Amino acid sequence: MKNPLAKAGILLVGMYVFLKFILPQFTAPLPASLIFLYLALTFAASTIFFTMSGAGLEDFMGPVGRFLTGEGQSGIAGTARILVFLVFPLLVGWQTYTKLAPSDAPPAENRTIHPAPPGEFVGLANPFPKTQDNIMMGKGLYAAFCSPCHGANFDGKGPAAPGFNPPPANFSDPGTIAQLQEAYLFWRIKKGGVGLPIEGMPWKSAMPRWEFELPDDWIWKIIMGEYDGAHQSPRTWEEEEEE
Amino acid sequence: MKSRGTVENLQSWLPKVKHSSLSGWSVFWVLLLLPAFVWAQDAATQAMSVEYRDIPWIGSRNLVWIVAQQHLLLAGFVLGVPIFAWICEIVGWRSKEPRYDKLAKEFTKLLTSAYATTALFGGILLFLLIGLYPKLMAYLSDVFFPSFIAYCILFLLETATLYIYWYGWDALQGNKKGLHIFLGFLLNLFALGIMIVPNSWATFQASPVVLGDGTAIERAWTAMQNPTWWPVNIHRLIANVVLGGFICGAYAGVRYLLAQTKEEKDHYDWMGYVGNFIGVFGMLPLPFAGYWLMREVYQYNQQMGITLMGGFLAWLFILQAMLIGVLFLGANYYFWMGIAYRIPGSAQSYKRPILAMLVVLMVCLGVWMTPHSLVASLAEAQLMGGTHHPLLGVFGVMSAKMTVSNLMILVTFMSFIMYWRAGKQETAAWAKVAKAVMGALLAIGGIAVVVLGVWGYFVPAIIRINYFSVAQVLIVLFIMVTFTPLTALLMKSAKTTTEMVWGQMPIRAGYALVLNAVMVILLMSLMGYARSSSRVHWHIYGVMRDTSEYAYSPALGYAAAFMSLNTFLFCLLVSFIFWVATMGDKVKKGPEQGQAAEDPTKISGGVTPAMAGGAPRVGEETLKI
Amino acid sequence: MSEVALLQLIGLIVVGLGVFILLFIKGKFLRVVGFVIIVLGGFSLIALSVPQMASLPPAIETFDITKVKTADDLASIGQKIFFSKGQCALCHSIGPSESSRCPDLNGIGAKLAPEFIYESLTQPQAYIYLDFRHGGVPEEYPARMPYINKNPIALSEQEIYSVIAFLQKMSGEPISIKVEDVLRESGGGEMKVASVAVHGTSSTND
Repeated sequence: MKNPLAKAGILLVGMYVFLKFILPQFTAPLPASLIFLYLALTFAASTIFFTMSGAGLEDFMGPVGRFLTGEGQSGIAGTARILVFLVFPLLVGWQTYTKLAPSDAPPAENRTIHPAPPGEFVGLANPFPKTQDNIMMGKGLYAAFCSPCHGANFDGKGPAAPGFNPPPANFSDPGTIAQLQEAYLFWRIKKGGVGLPIEGMPWKSAMPRWEFELPDDWIWKIIMGEYDGAHQSPRTWEEEEEE
Repeated sequence: MKSRGTVENLQSWLPKVKHSSLSGWSVFWVLLLLPAFVWAQDAATQAMSVEYRDIPWIGSRNLVWIVAQQHLLLAGFVLGVPIFAWICEIVGWRSKEPRYDKLAKEFTKLLTSAYATTALFGGILLFLLIGLYPKLMAYLSDVFFPSFIAYCILFLLETATLYIYWYGWDALQGNKKGLHIFLGFLLNLFALGIMIVPNSWATFQASPVVLGDGTAIERAWTAMQNPTWWPVNIHRLIANVVLGGFICGAYAGVRYLLAQTKEEKDHYDWMGYVGNFIGVFGMLPLPFAGYWLMREVYQYNQQMGITLMGGFLAWLFILQAMLIGVLFLGANYYFWMGIAYRIPGSAQSYKRPILAMLVVLMVCLGVWMTPHSLVASLAEAQLMGGTHHPLLGVFGVMSAKMTVSNLMILVTFMSFIMYWRAGKQETAAWAKVAKAVMGALLAIGGIAVVVLGVWGYFVPAIIRINYFSVAQVLIVLFIMVTFTPLTALLMKSAKTTTEMVWGQMPIRAGYALVLNAVMVILLMSLMGYARSSSRVHWHIYGVMRDTSEYAYSPALGYAAAFMSLNTFLFCLLVSFIFWVATMGDKVKKGPEQGQAAEDPTKISGGVTPAMAGGAPRVGEETLKI
Repeated sequence: MSEVALLQLIGLIVVGLGVFILLFIKGKFLRVVGFVIIVLGGFSLIALSVPQMASLPPAIETFDITKVKTADDLASIGQKIFFSKGQCALCHSIGPSESSRCPDLNGIGAKLAPEFIYESLTQPQAYIYLDFRHGGVPEEYPARMPYINKNPIALSEQEIYSVIAFLQKMSGEPISIKVEDVLRESGGGEMKVASVAVHGTSSTND
């Protein structure tokens, strides 16, 4: 294939096949929004590359222009052209219809897992020293109040866990409490799911609002026990990384 | 305070006046009048304590948004262009090439009318703010009054300097040129002051400090030295140069499209190149300045940092990545087209390196634009086990973003080096060694940046931020500061195999220049929105709450529509200023033709290779900038 | 029609206008304008296609002091004051911080008596050394700590006591501030605390 337009087409199709069918063989399938993004970038790259020089531009855009104007298109090519012109508006119409038709699927969502906490919970430190006693007490309280969902092994696999979507947080995953400060956990435990801001989608969290059940010093000790039990350590000051 | 005093006074009178009936009557009358008096005072304080005023239909916040954005963009332009013009003037002075001086003068001419427009919008903005936000403005003037005076004085100095600089241009030529350059320096110095004083007002709103007792000047000075003041100053200073450069490029691009004669085409092709060059060079250190600013914001208040990067503004940074990506691509596209069109016969030989650079740029952009929390339907989210993709989720974090932005800067820099070297043959004996060293440095540097980026996942965040990210930046800066003089030395003795041909660029090059300028303006508007809405519902973060009906921060789509509107209005304004300022040229064209005709001979080869973008003539003095 | 749909429609019309100009108009400057509006319209459409989220301000909370029953209630009011109206967190941190400009207050409630904290808040100049270095009549070094009970921060007595209760609680200490004492100071009434506690936001996604 010498024709740059064909090359670009093959590249796009190849990219789509790779993202849609080959990559999911090794990992979870990609959401449509991401596939669209990567295809758009591929398209931009091939346009830039093939229109760099005058000759390239002619090779790349020439066939498109001839196709649109019908210049020198006869026989099978001419018929194909007419067919495309007939089918294209239908495609657009179908796309518009599927976009606008009412459906029972919930809209695509974008939940921020770790949204900004309220100001008064940003700058707190655990008032209790990290002694064996405090940690043991924290673990005991954890076993009583938290383990039914978050699991006795701090892995988010408690007996009640299968009932929830999204599942309870897995504390042994380095992407959860290891990314957060103790004050953040204090806020989440104390205020629960309903205390989340809108970007955290409070309706998607079943975390109870523990401030009615547990006094603050218990919560601080539970936090200590969680970190110790999950073999993680809290973050010191720094960025919350969720671009 | 006052009312309490009155009551106390009354209490102390009462026992005394009991004895005298006359006094008793007078007290009676006073007491009768008192409610009326108090009521009148209430009305007076009520008039004084109007907190907000609104404007029907458009709304006070939207109106201030538009006017402030126009003022800030114009101010960026007015502060960026003198830097740009001054650099061009110095280059023209040192290289004795009149076309640089001409370019500088052309842009200074625009400055006078743009300056007036900026001040006009500043005035409108001030009136609107006083009228619409009296509570906030009273507080700010209480804190900052001494700096208002300083600002006014700076403004007077700047205006005077600008007039002398512009009207004295022709008088201060020859051996008086040094004085004129010094005036240009003063102009930029005052302009810097004019920028940083109001910056302190805005940064105080975002990161206030506690004000203790002290004189008015002490208080104002304490308030000015807030944590984000200097990061914003540096960031804006660089961004203004970028804006000036790309607007110059866009102007040249449009004039190139409109050009009728060969001379015009040559001239504006060259001017577009210079504008793009300055824009790109300003852009390269900009992400570093932005990173510093974000760091300061995080250190100042984590909540604000999280709101920006992980909270409701997280998607804004994906849009930012898109705009910056388009800007990088546009700038590189222009460079690459320059190689293909200005150096005849080189299109084929540079195809491979360009393809490699393009692939690297695109992969980087893909990583940069991949969000951490993905937009996914319910079914998709279930398959992924949440909104984080198990594999591509790693692209969403800071370590990856820092790495790819460093790589993109590196590629853009190499693109420029390649353009510089195109069409030339090194003759120096040590050329081979130098090229090998540069190649090795580039390879090692690139690998080191990637390795640090990957390693960054496995160390505590504090180490990554304080050491790894800094190391990445230093590596890229090191490559830039070693390659530039090395290439300049190489090119000094190089012989030109193919002369650059100007005025051959295709139409889409002009559009690429316009696109870059639009992207920069949009980016500035976008970041303005980010800066403003990171304060969420506070006028002054944590100190003075916004209690108006516009305390909410609008969603991104609504904001983007406003940014687009603002960008369009600004483009119109700038076009108008350019049009007004160049109206006289057409009349004068006749007598100046002789001068224009001698230009093309000068254009073919540049003495200052980097900025001129032309092949240096053998044996000519090279100027390092 | 929702706001997003309306803006999308406007964006599409603008892009369409740009395409029309590029297709049918020969004037070069107008063509550039057409190109620019396509870019701007496209940008707006992309921004409109990502999740739309506005950030609403939280409700202004008012605390009825008569509803304060326990010392813990007092401390939770103190927590809000510490991080908002009192502006304490502008300088101080609780726990180590790279950015704090003044002493770390972690454990301060255990180290200092409440009377002493009260004095530091209301008379920051009290124990500051005199400046003997510069000759002449020795003057006090200015305290960096502002008067908390005076303008511009001007916390009331009860508010200061609440903050002290919060500091004691954050040190794991039993709170020694008596609710009755604080109530007596105020004689009932309302304390206004502008707070960021309720993070109310609304979505305009559709």
